[in-house]
Amino acid sequence: MGFDLNFALASVPAILSAIGMTLLVAVTGCAGAASLGFCLEITRRAGGFAGYGVRFLIDFIRATPLLVWLYCLYFILPFYGLRLSALTVGILGLSLYYSGYLAEVFKAGIDAIPKGQPEAARALGIARLDTVIFVIAPQMLRNIAAPMGNYFVSILKSTPYLAVLAVPEMLGEAFDIASETYRYAEPLTIAGIIFLTLALIISQGVKWLERRLAASTVR
Amino acid sequence: MSTFDIWLGILAGFRVTASVTLYGLVFAIPFGLAFGVAQYLTSGFARFVVTSVIEFWRSSAVIILLFVFYYALPVIGVTLSAMTVAAMVLGLNIGGYASQAVRAGLQALDRGQKEAGQALGLSRATILLLIELPQALLAMSPTFINLVIQLLKATSLVSLITLSDMTFRAKEISQVEFDPVPIYLSLLLAYFIACYPIALLGRWMERRVSPATEARHGI
Repeated sequence: MGFDLNFALASVPAILSAIGMTLLVAVTGCAGAASLGFCLEITRRAGGFAGYGVRFLIDFIRATPLLVWLYCLYFILPFYGLRLSALTVGILGLSLYYSGYLAEVFKAGIDAIPKGQPEAARALGIARLDTVIFVIAPQMLRNIAAPMGNYFVSILKSTPYLAVLAVPEMLGEAFDIASETYRYAEPLTIAGIIFLTLALIISQGVKWLERRLAASTVR
Repeated sequence: MSTFDIWLGILAGFRVTASVTLYGLVFAIPFGLAFGVAQYLTSGFARFVVTSVIEFWRSSAVIILLFVFYYALPVIGVTLSAMTVAAMVLGLNIGGYASQAVRAGLQALDRGQKEAGQALGLSRATILLLIELPQALLAMSPTFINLVIQLLKATSLVSLITLSDMTFRAKEISQVEFDPVPIYLSLLLAYFIACYPIALLGRWMERRVSPATEARHGI
């Protein structure tokens, strides 16, 4: 029983039909991770007791595997009466896990802004909130665009973890085909190829964005 | 089931977790070094080939690679143990990331280093081995430490291909006991205890190798 190329090709449409779910998870996961990560970083910067708590939380998240976080949320939340769908748990897990990494990205992005910028804004009498919105945020966004893009690719590559919770994304679909036909090699290989293609396309996009931004900074 | 028994159960899987991590490094270190240096030295078509191999291991979703190699290799007549597949896939994935760190470290060196070596009449290999690599590897050592943590965390995936690591044991216990809360929280803590000392080591090394970046900008 060798590798059946025809069977592999026949499984492509069914696996591709789940690409919408994969992208939905990736995009919502990224948005969740960015928002949560920004809140974590702001709280960490504020210092005090909450700041230290958040600092520990970020370290803790970064020292624990995504798979275990997914199991934790999936099995523990219902125990406390919180019944969420596997999809919601999966997106929550991805958001929580990657927020720890994105907090570090935001930190580096804010740290890289020269101190003279907010000082100049203060000297000009610009309000604190206006300084954050019009001086710091635009420069931070430029600093973090490239690493953010790389983490988006990482989140995309982590979406197949959700197959473990039986979310019908592309790997889950491939496993469905496998368990119906008892042929694992072909659908899994196809899923692998589709994910690799997707990741390469998006990382090329990120590189392009990086070059554009680098070109616009040098004047 | 007492907390003590839970910890005993999880720790029974530590040997497999540690083995996969160490065997993974056996794949990751030579791959990262060889391909990082190769990408730095080659150009044209040779560089394209080297980059393609790196991108295959680095840009694929590691969870899918693990399944593909576990299920597809026997179909084409290659039978490897689950441990070998796990070490190879996780190791080469991390090795792909490591190769990028090696290459970036080499590229970041001052050109004068290489030119001085040439002026002294040293061969290209001697310049690489005695001048460029030691500096590049030292500068990149915090990144390598982070990759070891990534590898250790990724070993939780081997529970999905029947290896009885810490995650596998925890799942086993929770299926018998039906008391997921303490079991999965202990599992999370077990990974934290394994990874956090390595993270602290990485942070210490970062301070050692880059005293210049200590000068903080920031707000």
